[in-house]
Amino acid sequence: MLAYIARRLASTVLVMGIVAVFVFLLLHLSPGDPAAIIAGDNATGEQIAGIRKQLGLDDALPVQFYRWLAAVLHGDLGISIFSNEPVAKLISQRIEPTLSLALMTLLIAVTLAVSFGVVAAWKVGSWVDRSLMVVSVLGFSVPVFVVGYMLIYVFSISLRWLPVQGYSPIDQGFGPWIERLILPSIALGLAYVALIARITRTSMLEVLAEDYIRTANAKGVATRSVLLKHALKNAGVPIITVIGIGVALLIGGVVITETVFNIPGVGRLVVDAISKRDYPIIQGVILIFSGVYVLVNLLVDLSYTLLDPRIRY
Amino acid sequence: MRTTRRRFVQGTLATTALSGIPSIGRAQPSRARTIRAVMQGDLRSLDPIWTTANITAYHGAMIYDTLFALDGDQKTQPQMVGKFGVSDDKLTHTFELRDGLKFHDGAPVTADDVVASIRRWAARDGGGQHMMLRVKDISKKDDKTFVIALKEPYGLVADLMAKTATPLLYIMPKKIAETDPNQQITEYTGSGPFIYNKNETQMGQRYVYDRNPNYVSRSEPSSGMAGAKTVKVDRVIYENMPDSQTALQALKAGEIDFFEIPPIDLLDTLEGDPEIKVDVLNKTGNFGIMRINHLYPPFNNVDARKALLYLINQEEFMKASFGNPKYYKKCGSNFACGTPMENDENTAWFKEAPNLAKAKELFQKSGYDGRPVVLLHATNIDFMNNSAQIMAQRLREAGVNAQLATSDWGGVITRRAVKAPPDQGGWNLFITWSGSASVGNAIAWVGHQATGEKGWFGWPTDDVHEKLRDKWAAAANIDEQKAVAREMQKHDWDFVPHVWLGQWQSPVAYRKNLKGVLALPEIVPFWNIEKV
Repeated sequence: MLAYIARRLASTVLVMGIVAVFVFLLLHLSPGDPAAIIAGDNATGEQIAGIRKQLGLDDALPVQFYRWLAAVLHGDLGISIFSNEPVAKLISQRIEPTLSLALMTLLIAVTLAVSFGVVAAWKVGSWVDRSLMVVSVLGFSVPVFVVGYMLIYVFSISLRWLPVQGYSPIDQGFGPWIERLILPSIALGLAYVALIARITRTSMLEVLAEDYIRTANAKGVATRSVLLKHALKNAGVPIITVIGIGVALLIGGVVITETVFNIPGVGRLVVDAISKRDYPIIQGVILIFSGVYVLVNLLVDLSYTLLDPRIRY
Repeated sequence: MRTTRRRFVQGTLATTALSGIPSIGRAQPSRARTIRAVMQGDLRSLDPIWTTANITAYHGAMIYDTLFALDGDQKTQPQMVGKFGVSDDKLTHTFELRDGLKFHDGAPVTADDVVASIRRWAARDGGGQHMMLRVKDISKKDDKTFVIALKEPYGLVADLMAKTATPLLYIMPKKIAETDPNQQITEYTGSGPFIYNKNETQMGQRYVYDRNPNYVSRSEPSSGMAGAKTVKVDRVIYENMPDSQTALQALKAGEIDFFEIPPIDLLDTLEGDPEIKVDVLNKTGNFGIMRINHLYPPFNNVDARKALLYLINQEEFMKASFGNPKYYKKCGSNFACGTPMENDENTAWFKEAPNLAKAKELFQKSGYDGRPVVLLHATNIDFMNNSAQIMAQRLREAGVNAQLATSDWGGVITRRAVKAPPDQGGWNLFITWSGSASVGNAIAWVGHQATGEKGWFGWPTDDVHEKLRDKWAAAANIDEQKAVAREMQKHDWDFVPHVWLGQWQSPVAYRKNLKGVLALPEIVPFWNIEKV
């Protein structure tokens, strides 16, 4: 087991290295020049050239890459071109809103989706099953920003129950913190609910057709116990896998959701950085996102051993 | 009912959620004394000399003061300067600062600070450079007095110190103003009506300005950038909200107080809201521009450039992006409409356009050989996206092989700096805009330069035009300037440095409980505003 974890962690470093090279090349070879953006619309070519020189953007690409990589290996993600602040500091300032949003979304999505999937499988073919699956298809098909605007219109503008936008740190009160997370979490979680609910239903249907479930039913075990204790645990491996895969969906969704709901998280940070070509921020954030994605999938793989004792590493 | 552990936990969570835990730590000004504003974009640089971005000029107007300022009628008035005068030979300008001016750190504003600030500004500003060519020396006479000695009479000294075209001349402490003009400053100390609160600011998210209790205001009433700058709230916060739909909803819900550029197609919904006022603060608005690359065919030929004048129907460009005719108009003046220099000299083309047959004839006369014409196309800004597509279509109708080079605005501003031929990474045409008030100034607006490769993108060269700009700068009064402006325009529409796509106003929207919002072009001031 430990050897397996060590191997996987080593491969994580390799993956992050490959990501680093690709991100660096993609950014520097794509059109756009931060110096021109900083200089503003009325700047002359000479002024832009001066800024390029000052920022070190005139150096050859391998030189720039070496400089960045060497700093990253020393734990330094660089300095933002625009704000002159360390990238690590900017990310750390933005991590709380993103983590809050992601965890709240996971909580809402997993709770709802697993319940929907179990009920749909239990009532397979009924109107309940069909209704839940229609909701799932819709949830997966409607873009996050459309759901976001609809939620804002209904709950913030018409009913005035919840704020339109913004984020309140948890140290300024639990109430303001949670009231600003409800709408974004629902908007972001809807696609996630759809994905997990559908896989839960399929996986549950498969397990519910097994002999031991028929035996449990014949023994008179309560339906709730059959569904949750016997069936759900054995249907868990594919569900956990999808939750892990869905983290990529969540990361992509966070970027859009934070923009729609004006949440000052890492997603917003990277979107702003892309529009102004703030290379160190983009590189730093993508590197961290890729690391998180690989680690989440490692945790998912390890969790299989808890659900299915037959799995060994 | 028995209290179980689960019920206890549930109850505690619910109570906490409903009541909220009181804020910990810092004292904050109340909402009633704070203005939250969504401005045109993110404040990407805090150095108002280093960048020409308007949002940075707004930031500058909050924390710095200016020596002179434009009033509501666009006339130059003294601001930090108290007394001033010029010698009989018009070669020596003497300025004395008002009493009691102090920077935010408590240090007095001195002539040393002013001299250093002028030098740094002039190193980067086109107008400043134009002035410095005629300056023999700028020196301190005493702590409150400075002198500008000229080589020849120059009528724009005070006007350039007052102009709102970016970059503005803001006064900083000497040690900050001595920063290399090609490096960004890292300290933001001014003597303006607000103090930049670095601790509360979150770069990319919100920028916080607190009232400067020690600001020494002028006694005249507020007018444009001039007169009293009385701050009537404790704090102003620029909220960076990139999604305009969200900002619009936040304004309606009262979560923000001021929205600088609401989406123009949704103004109707705001105008119908009894809590919100839609107002045009920048009366002269903005001017749509198509810059032409003068270095390469076909537009190194004047007939091809003239063909563009006849090809463009400004109404079409304006309607595509701004819809409501209440907020746009056609304009043929090379100094924009509604500015003091507006005139109708040599605008027969404007009255005639669009004239496709004439445009075709002129392209033919220019010897256009069917080579591709590269039009830079920014897709992420509506006006630029729409206008580039219309322009490409009109060029094709005139028989021009127009090719759109599509990217975001970041890509366009990178490529427009490339001087290589269009088929080797360069370009022929790109679309942008400028504040009309700036366009009305022959020296301050960088696009009026025709100094070739030293000038702005497109690099037109024309000696007659440059001599006329100098004549305009030396004019003794506004009537003389107007006469020279007519002369310039007569010449300009024969050599066609650029073409215009129309003029429009961008209304702002704010909650009606904001009173005293000042109208002026190119800067959005937050002094004089009360939140009732």
